[in-house]
Amino acid sequence: MPRVGRVIFALAVVAGLASAGCATVKPWQRGLLADSCMVFDSSAETSYMTHWQEAREGSMGGFGVQGGGCGCK
Amino acid sequence: MALTSVVLVVAAAGYNWAQNQLDLSFHAFQDKRGVTVLSPDADFSKDFSDRTNLKVKFGVDSISAASNSCARCHPDGANNGRVVGSASVTRKYGDSKVTVGGEFSKEMFYTATTGLASISRDLNNANTTVAAGFAFSLNQPVLHPSRQTESQRSMDTYVSLTQSWTKGTVTQFGYELNQINGYQTNPFLRTSVNSVLTTGNSPDARTRHAVSARLRQALPAETFLEVDYRRYHDNWSLNSSTLALGLSHHFGDTIVAGGTYRYYTQTGTYFYKPSYTGSPTYFTGDFRLFPFDAGSVTGHIELTPKGPFLNMPAGSSLTLEYERYRSTTGFVAGIFTGGIRIPLK
Repeated sequence: MPRVGRVIFALAVVAGLASAGCATVKPWQRGLLADSCMVFDSSAETSYMTHWQEAREGSMGGFGVQGGGCGCK
Repeated sequence: MALTSVVLVVAAAGYNWAQNQLDLSFHAFQDKRGVTVLSPDADFSKDFSDRTNLKVKFGVDSISAASNSCARCHPDGANNGRVVGSASVTRKYGDSKVTVGGEFSKEMFYTATTGLASISRDLNNANTTVAAGFAFSLNQPVLHPSRQTESQRSMDTYVSLTQSWTKGTVTQFGYELNQINGYQTNPFLRTSVNSVLTTGNSPDARTRHAVSARLRQALPAETFLEVDYRRYHDNWSLNSSTLALGLSHHFGDTIVAGGTYRYYTQTGTYFYKPSYTGSPTYFTGDFRLFPFDAGSVTGHIELTPKGPFLNMPAGSSLTLEYERYRSTTGFVAGIFTGGIRIPLK
């Protein structure tokens, strides 16, 4: 991984961990967070798009969704 | 034949527990070469208790018309088919969830078998979720037209941190490490070596890193912003960046519509050249290892009527999506997806 990428990732993780205790979203305030537009999901549409993009491009991964071995190009 | 490794890792959002539902999707892909892929698939999710959930997926790819590589030997066209099935079980232990599962896919000249395990845990009153997953895949390409079979082993590790910042802001940071050992040459894509078209030769080991940052932000007037960024690097010196920006909007209680723009750019591998002379150790004709940029635009709409519709129970939804993809290599493709989600008792 390039140095810049390592630094950005490390800063992001540290910032996330350091501030985790500061977030005070109460259970009754989570209505918007439960909206389907706010969820990092792996819907069938997202999985298929990821699958075929990885079949066309040289990179993969990073978003925690599933891909698969694939066919004739 | 694409020797893409199978990667099957946990989706790490972790906020919503599973529901009993059936998702039926139909995907249609067509590119400017005339290659068409029709892919129906079904996802079934069932809670067996308040702590245990089963997910089963079955899909088919029906690939018609000849690609550039197939057309050399099959000028009248060559069809292919792929069948994929997967299953996973998730069990809750307090604020933690553990998932184990596997996937198997089979097609002409390629078989892939994957096992996976993952764990996630909610912290800080569910405002923070940490997750980790591991997958091992055995991929077995057949070097058509010979019957020789090669093997490739892929190990994949993924960690993520999901954080709710406010009642309308959530982020996720992820890191994925993938190690592939074994045969990784594309047996069907050729390049010019001393003016002779020759199947490539790629290294037998590849280490891949990807870091990602994602944001979901609720905006005024029932509108939502989606931002995804990924930086990728591997030891073949292929680097890439991906940025996707999307907006979605609720039109009343029954319609959600939106669009996404995605930009992708990558360098070539260290051994990529348009053509080769002499006796190179590594050489490739695989378009995935070339330098190029790509952009795509996606539009989607989801309808969830309040009552039953199309003989389906209340709560069912219909999703339509279309993506247009264009790269600087001249590749252009359109992808249509239609899906139905049916809640089950």
